[in-house]
Amino acid sequence: MINNKIGIISCSGEECLGGTISRLAVRKMMEELKPGMVSTLCLPLFIAGDGGEREFAEKYPTIAIDGCSKCCAKRAIEKYSNQVAGSVDVAKIIGEAKALEKPLSTRHLTDEHKEFIEQTASKTCQIFDEIAAKQ
Amino acid sequence: MSKIKVIPCSGIGKVFGLLARESVLMVTEEKCPNDTETLCLAHVVTGDDEVVAKINGETCITMDGCAKYCAKKSVEETGGVVVKSHKVPDFMKAHRGEEHGTGTALTEDGWKYAEELAEILADDVKEIKSGGNVL
Repeated sequence: MINNKIGIISCSGEECLGGTISRLAVRKMMEELKPGMVSTLCLPLFIAGDGGEREFAEKYPTIAIDGCSKCCAKRAIEKYSNQVAGSVDVAKIIGEAKALEKPLSTRHLTDEHKEFIEQTASKTCQIFDEIAAKQ
Repeated sequence: MSKIKVIPCSGIGKVFGLLARESVLMVTEEKCPNDTETLCLAHVVTGDDEVVAKINGETCITMDGCAKYCAKKSVEETGGVVVKSHKVPDFMKAHRGEEHGTGTALTEDGWKYAEELAEILADDVKEIKSGGNVL
């Protein structure tokens, strides 16, 4: 059940490093930066339209975190619900070439990857705070 | 024969999505890199021409994190031929009482379970490559 009033949708990013970074940045928001304050929405379920995700994103501000410049999460929100309240493109933070490197198991995270996660989560947090300030 | 597509759900809220993702990465990156590849489910669900061309009529295996079967349904809707579909909780019986981690990180037991799931997927790949009927 969705209770919190700012949503975040991460792309799944199985094909590239950017997807790994986007997922882990969302998890960092959930667990460390804004615990209990964000609702994370599952992108495939959102597109399937089964679980109330679309309705949430129609009513409440939702941030898209995309691992590459295809911006699947952002496009999906705008197609099925509403304009995104904010969007983060990991490729713009860590560079397109880096973002398109091979996907990464969480077993193989390096300090560089952790820094990418930190930067992406920090950008997301900034957008979150701007949205929250307007509410 | 083109590579078999092995596609996990991208569940981010619970450990099941991470187990699906890590088990698929073990198969595509380590166990069967010459016979398999993964596709980004977020991209699949957008239905872009590029991804439809990659998956349409191709042999696919899916690993879902829950009974909503987002990966299986999305792959089928995009024209992929799902010859084997699994979900992470299907194999939990022997693992009752274990803590597998969270959507962020797996525990030691979680990695063992991911390895077991990867072996199941690798066996599917072998069976498909040998022409066996896995439907």
